Amino acid sequence: MLRFIVRRLIITIPTILVVITITWGLIRLAPGNFYISEKAIPAAIEKNIREKYGLDKPWYEQYGHTIWNIVRHFDFGTSLKYEGQSVNAIIARSLPVSATVGILAYLLALVVGITAGSIAALKPNSKRDYASMALAMLGISIPNFVLGPILILVFSLTLYWFPPSRWNGFPSRNVVLPVLTLSGLYMAYIARLTRAGMLEVLRSDYIRTARAKGLSETQVVIRHALRGGLMPVVSYTGPALAFLVTGTVVVERLFVLPGLGSYFIQASLNRDEPLILGIVAFVAITLLLMNLLVDIAYAYLDPRIRY
Amino acid sequence: MKACQRGSIRRVYLKELIAAVTIASFVFGTISCSVVATPGDFYGNTTPPKRNILRYVNGDEPGSLDPPVSTGQPEARIYMALYQGLIEYDPRTFNAIPGLAERWDINNDSSEFVFHLRRNAVWSSGDPITAQDFVYSVRRGVSPALASQNAYLAFYINYAEAYFRKAVFAKDSKTNQFVLEKDVAESALSASPGATTSLASEYDSGVVGPESIQGPDVKASPGAETTFHQFMHSPPRLTLPGNEEARNKLLAKNPKLQAALEGKDFVPVSAEDIGVEAIDDYTVRISLSQPAPYFLGLLGHQLFRLAPRKIIEKYGDQWTQPEHIVTCGPFKVKEWLHYSELVVERDPLYWDAANVHLDEIHFFVSQDNPTSLNLYKVGEADAVLNHAVPNAWLQVVRPKKDYMDGAEAAIAFLNINVTKPPMNDIRVRRAFNMAIDKISYAKSRLVTKPLSAFTPEGIFVGYPQPKGDPFDPEQARKLLGEAGFPVTKQGDGFQCKAFPVGEVEYIFNTNSSNKSMAEYMQAQWKQNLGITVPLRSMESKTFLPARNKLEFKGFAVGLWAADYMDPFTFLGLFMTPDGSNGSGWFDPKYVAMLNEANLTLNPQRRYELLAKAEKYLLDNQPVIPIETFAVNWLKKPYVKGMYPNAASLYPWKFVYIERDSSKWDYGVPSLSD
Repeated sequence: MLRFIVRRLIITIPTILVVITITWGLIRLAPGNFYISEKAIPAAIEKNIREKYGLDKPWYEQYGHTIWNIVRHFDFGTSLKYEGQSVNAIIARSLPVSATVGILAYLLALVVGITAGSIAALKPNSKRDYASMALAMLGISIPNFVLGPILILVFSLTLYWFPPSRWNGFPSRNVVLPVLTLSGLYMAYIARLTRAGMLEVLRSDYIRTARAKGLSETQVVIRHALRGGLMPVVSYTGPALAFLVTGTVVVERLFVLPGLGSYFIQASLNRDEPLILGIVAFVAITLLLMNLLVDIAYAYLDPRIRY
Repeated sequence: MKACQRGSIRRVYLKELIAAVTIASFVFGTISCSVVATPGDFYGNTTPPKRNILRYVNGDEPGSLDPPVSTGQPEARIYMALYQGLIEYDPRTFNAIPGLAERWDINNDSSEFVFHLRRNAVWSSGDPITAQDFVYSVRRGVSPALASQNAYLAFYINYAEAYFRKAVFAKDSKTNQFVLEKDVAESALSASPGATTSLASEYDSGVVGPESIQGPDVKASPGAETTFHQFMHSPPRLTLPGNEEARNKLLAKNPKLQAALEGKDFVPVSAEDIGVEAIDDYTVRISLSQPAPYFLGLLGHQLFRLAPRKIIEKYGDQWTQPEHIVTCGPFKVKEWLHYSELVVERDPLYWDAANVHLDEIHFFVSQDNPTSLNLYKVGEADAVLNHAVPNAWLQVVRPKKDYMDGAEAAIAFLNINVTKPPMNDIRVRRAFNMAIDKISYAKSRLVTKPLSAFTPEGIFVGYPQPKGDPFDPEQARKLLGEAGFPVTKQGDGFQCKAFPVGEVEYIFNTNSSNKSMAEYMQAQWKQNLGITVPLRSMESKTFLPARNKLEFKGFAVGLWAADYMDPFTFLGLFMTPDGSNGSGWFDPKYVAMLNEANLTLNPQRRYELLAKAEKYLLDNQPVIPIETFAVNWLKKPYVKGMYPNAASLYPWKFVYIERDSSKWDYGVPSLSD
């Protein structure tokens, strides 16, 4: 097990470098640059800007410089748009925002999704099964850029219950709508996965054995069925957590949250190379680590899996 | 078994689907009801904030708090709270009013300005603000190391452009005499016919600067005489490219110039050479290389707002971080919650602090118009940025009494790439212009005004704005025919078989208003000329280089907003072949006409000459003017002292919260005093 983890961690490093290199290349291939704006600037100004940021040097030198700073000091440099702000500092202060919203949405999705899925699975084709699965279907088919505005319209602009946007720390009323919007899809998906997993498991031999042993239905469901029934949920929620924590572009932009997702989309639009590289690297690392955690969780949940 | 299972799944899905649709229709039903019901004179909540603060939705997260650096409007508005310049803008008319300078003197050809600073102005750190601070700020603003995108606004100042370009003077090491432009005038300038007229193109190779457009030598300048002042008024020195390779290349092309510079030393143009001078601690003199009557109005621009030398030298690029920053405006930084809000509070040390009404301003970040308006509607914000009202919302929002309407010093137009056929033919360009019904277009946009000239409609008082060709499809078809592309009648419409549609397209950066504009133009040309110009929508950072480098054929959308309140800020676009000239049209005659106008001392006569140049521009039709924008934003009725001025910039110290509802604004506040 330990060897497995170490091996996976070592593979992470070259993977990240490849990701950074590809991203760097894509940014360079994209037309435009960080300083171009509606008012075009005279050639002399452009020349001085290029010199200031070392863009007049050959590409391999610029690439080498970037990679060296990342490898050596884990330093992505300073943002080109946000003068004087280091990429590391931007990530450090936007991560907590994304993580707060993401983890809350994740927990909400897990609690509601697993509950709804289990309820549905315990009495398949009953009214409550249809009701919860109908909601789940709605959740899956309504994208968050539609769900968000609907929630804003109803709960903010009509009922005046929650602010329509902006971040105000946690806990605050501002958190409610983004968390609901973000968790919608995951909640629905988890509910469906749980239902499917549970249905499968409830029909299996070891559940029959458990019942035959005379265990109470609660014990059967919680101790035995849920553990097996959640396997598909686990493999789904690992990467889902990574995405949720590292920011979701749509929801953060919709609610003007100062999270990684907002910065990422703005950095891409601004062609802010250091910031793009920093966020991509960070997201990639988180994703790889989450996948590792999923594998470990698998081994824990399913006694048949050994590394 | 399998088939049976699939059947039951299908049934399950069907039931779920019905339930889902029921829920969805219920939700949408509630929403559509709530959209219809928006009663009241104002858009949303009108409860004033409990504290004496203004919550302003400002758009993008500011890039930097360093005044000369950023070019965006959100930053410009923040700089107006945090920093002051020699002058401030009048909140209504946008004319220059005293700022850091109590009063000023201008010589009679507007090429030299002397400012008398107030003695009670201090930085937020308590240090006094002196003339040296201004000199430092300008030198820093145009320094090549800072590489500010705004630097071009200071290029009127003597030798500022040469300094920015890292140019050099040529000096005789024995006599210590600098080589003057007139010494080499014959060899350098007569080498190209029409010396002054081809300035712009020559300038890029570094031969001559705007220094050579010396106006009439009007010595009657106010302020004490100094050695520096004599230097400013001595004949302009020759400036050459600082880069040795570029310089040698230039000299190799021009043997006479090379001979004249034989054995001379090259001295870099330094910050100390540019035309800003502290005569004493409280007097500043600015010497321009040419008369520029509008220069006074430029001094309120962020490039000329003061930056604190001590702090910058101590902290480098970290000086704008809230823990280090020192400012000089009516407000100072209280808290910066990145990507959420910048909070500024009244600076008690500001010289006019007693007349600053607000305790705090919260500049909110928001990239999307609906988001901004939502905040406004529920009463979380007191005012929103210009152009925040989406077109589709105008029907609902515009009749409200808190909707701000007014002329704006900004225009939309189409650049035509005149370097490629068939658009290199003036007749074709005129035909495309005359085939557009701009009046109907402006009507469909609800708030804008149709534009036939290149300067905005109704902004410059007393300017005899010329008229471009009117909407005349008949004449347009005739012109196309003359150019070799006969338009024939076909059914109800027209067709133009000879026209090479593959050689033109219409490019624009993706947004909904550009898209509807493109579709309108396309429809007009189809209807009136029988030509369907293909449209191409591009992401903004892809679009801009394509337009600026003329890598398009046909038409490219252009927008321009005034840097200062003078027609020249629009007409000057075609002074150089590069930069914001997105059409490739460059005519020495036009440049000469503008130069002549700017050398004219009588303001009315100058306007007439500018108008003549504008007419010449319109006759050549490198652009198709479309519309003059209108300001388009909201402020709560209790926000007073904020006006829909033409530049959408607000001197914040005049803004206050009125709690007495009888004194509220019920409509657009008047712009006249």
